[in-house]
Amino acid sequence: MKSGVNKRPELKRGNLMAVKIFIAADRLDSVLEKLATKIDLWIPALLKGDKSGPTGFVPYEVGKAPAFDRQTTLPLKKVLLPQEETLLRFEYKKDPEGAPKTTIALDDHREARPTLVFGARSCDVRALTTLDRVFANGPYVDPYYVERRKNTFFATLVCKENDVKCFCSSVGGGPADMEGSHLKIVQVDDGYVVEALTAEAQSLLDGLGDAPDAARDAKAAEMVKEASGRRVGDVDTQGCAEAFRNRFPQTDYWVQMVSQCLSCGVCTYVCPTCYCFSITDEVENLKGERLRSWDSCMFYHYTLEASGHNPRPTKLERYRNRVGHKFSYIPEKYEGLLGCCGCGRCIRSCPVSIDIRQVVGHLKENTNEQ
Amino acid sequence: MLENDRNQLHKLVEEALPELDMMIGWAESCDPLQTTPVFIRDAKSISKLTLGPFCSQNLAGYLVKPPALDAPPKPDAKPIGICVKGCDSRSLVALIQEKFITRDRVRIFGIPCRGTVDFRKVAQRVPLANVKSATMEGDSLVIDDSGTPLRLDLEEVLARKCLGCRYPNPVIQDVVIGQEAKPRSSSLAATYRDVAAMDAKPLEERLAFWQSELDRCIRCYACRNACPLCVCQDRCIVETREPRWLTQRVGIPEKFLFHFIHAMHLAGRCTGCGECERVCPMDIPVTLIKEKLNKIMEEMLGYSAGLDPEAVPPLLTFNPGETEI
Amino acid sequence: MNNNPYLPEMATVQEVITETGNIRTLRVTLDNKERMGQFDFRPGQVGQLSVFGTGESTFVINSPPTRKDYLQFSVMKAGEVTARIHQLNTGDQVGIRAPLGNGFDFEAMKGHDILFVGGGIGMAPLRTLLLYMIDNRADYGDITVIYGARSPKDMCYTYEFEEWRAGGVNLVLTVDAEFPGWKERVGFVPTVLSEVAPSPSNRIAITCGPPIMIKFVLFGLKELGFEDPQIITTLEKRMKCGIGICGRCNAGSKYVCLDGPVFSYDQIRAMGGEM
Repeated sequence: MKSGVNKRPELKRGNLMAVKIFIAADRLDSVLEKLATKIDLWIPALLKGDKSGPTGFVPYEVGKAPAFDRQTTLPLKKVLLPQEETLLRFEYKKDPEGAPKTTIALDDHREARPTLVFGARSCDVRALTTLDRVFANGPYVDPYYVERRKNTFFATLVCKENDVKCFCSSVGGGPADMEGSHLKIVQVDDGYVVEALTAEAQSLLDGLGDAPDAARDAKAAEMVKEASGRRVGDVDTQGCAEAFRNRFPQTDYWVQMVSQCLSCGVCTYVCPTCYCFSITDEVENLKGERLRSWDSCMFYHYTLEASGHNPRPTKLERYRNRVGHKFSYIPEKYEGLLGCCGCGRCIRSCPVSIDIRQVVGHLKENTNEQ
Repeated sequence: MLENDRNQLHKLVEEALPELDMMIGWAESCDPLQTTPVFIRDAKSISKLTLGPFCSQNLAGYLVKPPALDAPPKPDAKPIGICVKGCDSRSLVALIQEKFITRDRVRIFGIPCRGTVDFRKVAQRVPLANVKSATMEGDSLVIDDSGTPLRLDLEEVLARKCLGCRYPNPVIQDVVIGQEAKPRSSSLAATYRDVAAMDAKPLEERLAFWQSELDRCIRCYACRNACPLCVCQDRCIVETREPRWLTQRVGIPEKFLFHFIHAMHLAGRCTGCGECERVCPMDIPVTLIKEKLNKIMEEMLGYSAGLDPEAVPPLLTFNPGETEI
Repeated sequence: MNNNPYLPEMATVQEVITETGNIRTLRVTLDNKERMGQFDFRPGQVGQLSVFGTGESTFVINSPPTRKDYLQFSVMKAGEVTARIHQLNTGDQVGIRAPLGNGFDFEAMKGHDILFVGGGIGMAPLRTLLLYMIDNRADYGDITVIYGARSPKDMCYTYEFEEWRAGGVNLVLTVDAEFPGWKERVGFVPTVLSEVAPSPSNRIAITCGPPIMIKFVLFGLKELGFEDPQIITTLEKRMKCGIGICGRCNAGSKYVCLDGPVFSYDQIRAMGGEM
């Protein structure tokens, strides 16, 4: 499957010396501190004090400990698609001559700073192949996303242990999938073996540490081998696009699958591939901003038209659209690419335990069965 | 014991189902620590119904939302069967009080409750937070997380709302499943100890606490949608476009506004079921805001929501002789 | 368009026409004269009209590409943005992102007889194509327009009807109920359609109006023998970005803002999705 944004230099194994360093666990903090002087650094971290609390990606601050032990509650998409973002600023300007005319000044300047996400996961990075198609593949290109995307690098953890809700291998990924990553992080007993996967990532490792010794290198290789061989999840997504189209008109199926749904936005906000957004004007007196903010197809207002008509008035149509978008519409538009990275977050965070694996897994069953 | 209760439930539902439009209960989900609501219309699905400390969802809200909602009911509408724990039954009473549903429209299967499990507390106690199975053995919860079974005392992993529970037994029901449960609290002080602890802190500290907690809010509105008494749903003023009361920004002011609108609309109506807090993906103790209001209602007006179907919630009425306000 | 598809071009309102009690027509020109001179579009393409501080909304450019003194938008007051647009006066600045969407395939319609069936504000997207055809009259066969509104007071473009007729258009007007002074037909659009009964042979039907009207017009057209590919309509959805990214206006895998708003009836059937 082709990657959406090919503007990054391609991985050239021939020219690339296998630059690898070892970071001892007790040196991680100082290494991150050094990295943060080279580039804007984001890490996965606890968002609340206790161990079981929610986690997400945050800008690195000295002393902040990364949370590498499990997948974050919130995905990393906000690094590229913030929950709230200014598309443009406007200002009504009174004519200095005192004429009753006002003119409007627009300003859409933006800045994308080089950024490294240290401690991403394969599923999260894989999700970007979906976002890339949507934002960067045209016919219209989203400059806000694309400029950030080009400037963002990913140091990705080889996933040590998935949980019972992960299913990355069912949707084309895997625990050691490094597609789209620039650095590979392997957790060994007493630290991390970090390997550059692209030319520009090499320079990020300069001066951060020495090559791992043979024992650690072997251990890392062994872990990668184990992770590469691990199949996570057993959802059959073959032919799901067509199966969805057949299921579409069967109201009974959707009643059976999603009657519990509360129509909240959790599944979409924790989803690394959900990108739908709203655009609103936020104004104070004569100045204001046109804002892009996360929206959710689970919300009634998302499709509510000014006339009062709503093409997706109940949770059944809305949930069905979410499944359709990921497993039928995106594949149809982009040569079979699935709009799901199998991270399992929607399952983990759903207040009523709706399991998208079941909904997708049953699409193909005998369509007459209740 | 749990097994007996489950069998009893299955038997009673089997008998009742021909006279019901549907039966709303809990079923096992892919997560051993959490159930999923289930809507049963045919006898062969009755076996899906389960009971126990993982049945955390309050099902009462489904009575006023699809698929149960059919307002006004069809002429041939039959009652809807529903499983309720003590706290859930109070939400049901509140819905009856506010005339969202009539008493004769529901067939209430009362479940005396020994407390529900807070999966986050379990996650704190297990090494991998990757629970593969969870079963009750007496008063213990036996968890398989890393291959070695781990035994946790149920009391230690109960939801916060359960710790001060005064009404573990449904306050309204047609049939009861199993034996009566013992209340954990009989006093306002015990029920509202978290509120008292918060009130004891200086104002600056309280503000800082809520700023830090609510800062995590992602405005997913799960707390609102899970609330059985947030009956405005699609018409909620935090989302309406005309007028637009709340911007799409994700700053703390917007989050405060949303959560306090939510809480104020529940003043004197909230029955403390804790759903808003349970469903929060960001683990914000949002029920605490409502508990504070509930405490005021009890202290000033002597009113506790969702106990008497005939009572009128004090903020939904007006008494010219009111002395307390 | 510039390299930021979200950045509107500034434009100035040149004229505001009150069409009906709740419909106004705006004629605007781009402030950049050079851009205005080069501005090109297909009939049926849309624009995002911005009133900064309130927001953007999508409207068809209902002037034809053959008449480019100004770009014309007709706006029915329905939500917050349209209410704000109704407050605009000559000389006010607005933002425009245009042209967007697919537009009508007017090339493929050459040599065919044409039937327009419009209701209320639904005449707006038909008007651009109608005027284009009048301006290229020799390319098209018979042009019949059935236009209906609740009452004569709810009819748009009344000041142009003579021009349309002079341009070789068979214009059939109807209102829902008798009205003092009304000399044209009385009756719902679908009923008038079956009375007029245009032959489906070598004809393309283009319809736009309230959903309930479209539904019965479709029945009517099928009854007259029109096949699905011969029937063309424009779809409406709530839109935000207008460029196929933000996600909300999909019907199946198609985005109405990008792949539409113009679709033939067989395309709509193939799309699936909620309407």
